Amino acid sequence: MNALIRKHPLRSRSEAVLRNLVVVALIAFFITFFFAPILMAFVGSFHLWNPLKGQYQWNGITNWKMVLNNSLFWRAMGNTVWFSVVAVVARVFIGLLLASALHAKRVKWKSLFRTLYYLPTITPMVAVAFVWKFMYQPQFGLLNQLLNTKINWLFDAHYAMSAILLLTIWKDFGYAVVILLGGLYSLPTDCLEAAEIDGASAWQRFRTITLPLLQPTILFIVITSLISYFQTYIPVMVLTQGGPGTQTYLASYIIYDQAFVKYNFGYSSAISFVLFLVIAMLTVLSFRISGKNDG
Amino acid sequence: MKRSKTASIVLNGVLLVCSLATILPFLWMLASSLKTNREISTLAQSFLPQAPTVENYANALQKMNFLRYFGNSLLYAVSLTVITVYTSAIAGFVLCKYRFRGRQLLFGAILATMMVPGVVTIIPRYSIMQAVGWLDTWKSLLVPGLFTSFGIFMMRQSCMGIPDEMLEAARIDGGNEFYIFHRIALPMLRNAVSSIAIFQFLWAWEDYLWPYLMMRSQNKQVLSVALNMFSGRYSTDYAGLFAATAIAIIPVVICYLFFQRRFIEGIASAAVKG
Repeated sequence: MNALIRKHPLRSRSEAVLRNLVVVALIAFFITFFFAPILMAFVGSFHLWNPLKGQYQWNGITNWKMVLNNSLFWRAMGNTVWFSVVAVVARVFIGLLLASALHAKRVKWKSLFRTLYYLPTITPMVAVAFVWKFMYQPQFGLLNQLLNTKINWLFDAHYAMSAILLLTIWKDFGYAVVILLGGLYSLPTDCLEAAEIDGASAWQRFRTITLPLLQPTILFIVITSLISYFQTYIPVMVLTQGGPGTQTYLASYIIYDQAFVKYNFGYSSAISFVLFLVIAMLTVLSFRISGKNDG
Repeated sequence: MKRSKTASIVLNGVLLVCSLATILPFLWMLASSLKTNREISTLAQSFLPQAPTVENYANALQKMNFLRYFGNSLLYAVSLTVITVYTSAIAGFVLCKYRFRGRQLLFGAILATMMVPGVVTIIPRYSIMQAVGWLDTWKSLLVPGLFTSFGIFMMRQSCMGIPDEMLEAARIDGGNEFYIFHRIALPMLRNAVSSIAIFQFLWAWEDYLWPYLMMRSQNKQVLSVALNMFSGRYSTDYAGLFAATAIAIIPVVICYLFFQRRFIEGIASAAVKG
């Protein structure tokens, strides 16, 4: 103890006051709003829990069994994985394409393009989802007018998921462009110039130098995107409510539907934990995959 | 030489097409919000309104009471932004500049919460708010947002750029720690303050679920919730809904165009540090 005090001497009384104030507030806050809720959700998933009826009874693993035996849940998980993978791949691909294009010397109005691409990202999702709902409207919607089609985007099982994906990709690609462009500017130029002098083509330089060096940035985008796409909910709520049929049910949509429409808190806590575990596993997996490539 | 010219045309072409695709939905929304319902549903469509009218906006603001929701959103977003910027700065300062037992553990625990998906904590948070009787009060919106792990993380990183000698000098001159934080550290965190403020404001402005769950009275709702509410109630009043949507989007777009440099620097710095 004495050694510790000698190692970290308090410089003044006010330091102790400020430090204790902040530390106590932080501990209280993060316990109340993060650690206790995680525990409560876990314990609650073993209960029949309905706040409207004041119900909170132990029912063992019933909720978990119901979740794992529920075909709608598996359907939604499948949809969620498909949705997230397509959205992440598209985000990274479009991001790389446009960031590389913006990085090229020959391009004018770089900052104008970048400003425009980032515009959808800063706009509120609910409002933007409504704009797209109208764009998908079969009679007067912009999309059918532009494509000269008569597709009922949101009510046709073939198109509904694509419609949600298109909105998501449109809203989010700019974020990847901005971050990857930042990554490109921080690359060592001497390496690329040397390769150019040695006669490497633009594609060769991109594949063997740029891409490996950008890998940490890409990993960052992949992980943050996966975490947020696995929780996507608002586009489904505004555009399709899970329909037509169960085509666009996503895991998060079921959680909110079960929790705040039907008030099955125990059951939806169980689903949220499954989702939590899947997200955690995917995050670890992404790190593993990228770690292997490094070695 | 000829090849590089073609490449240049292709590159610029791709960039131009993508930017058109990016802004087209906004332009269409804007154009449609100036049309009448009759013109929107007519068969012979034109992109631009034939007889532009601002009646839809007047309607949305008065009949749909959007001025109220706009005010609520603004109040919510601004107060949350001010609070979190300040708490993040002070927490980041303490976690960076003071040495005490358990500091690494505390910071690690705060970082770990960034990985927790919101769907897991939202049900218990709702129950907590219900249990303490805060539903339908402003406390329920602001208290769970008192601290953000993201803000604390960013601020702690920025505090590392403040030289210890500078703080030491102020201490020798007799400044107490509160003075040192507010007068010396805080002004040096200007960049972090502006990027956290931007993010926090945007998040709060687009927040939907939490305000929806907490607020019971209709006149306390925020814009996103009101928009969803009215889309059900006035589902055929497309012109009105276009205007209402535009009211939720246009202010942030204007803000963005003014401060776009700061926005983009902010996001890039967050990514590099993350």
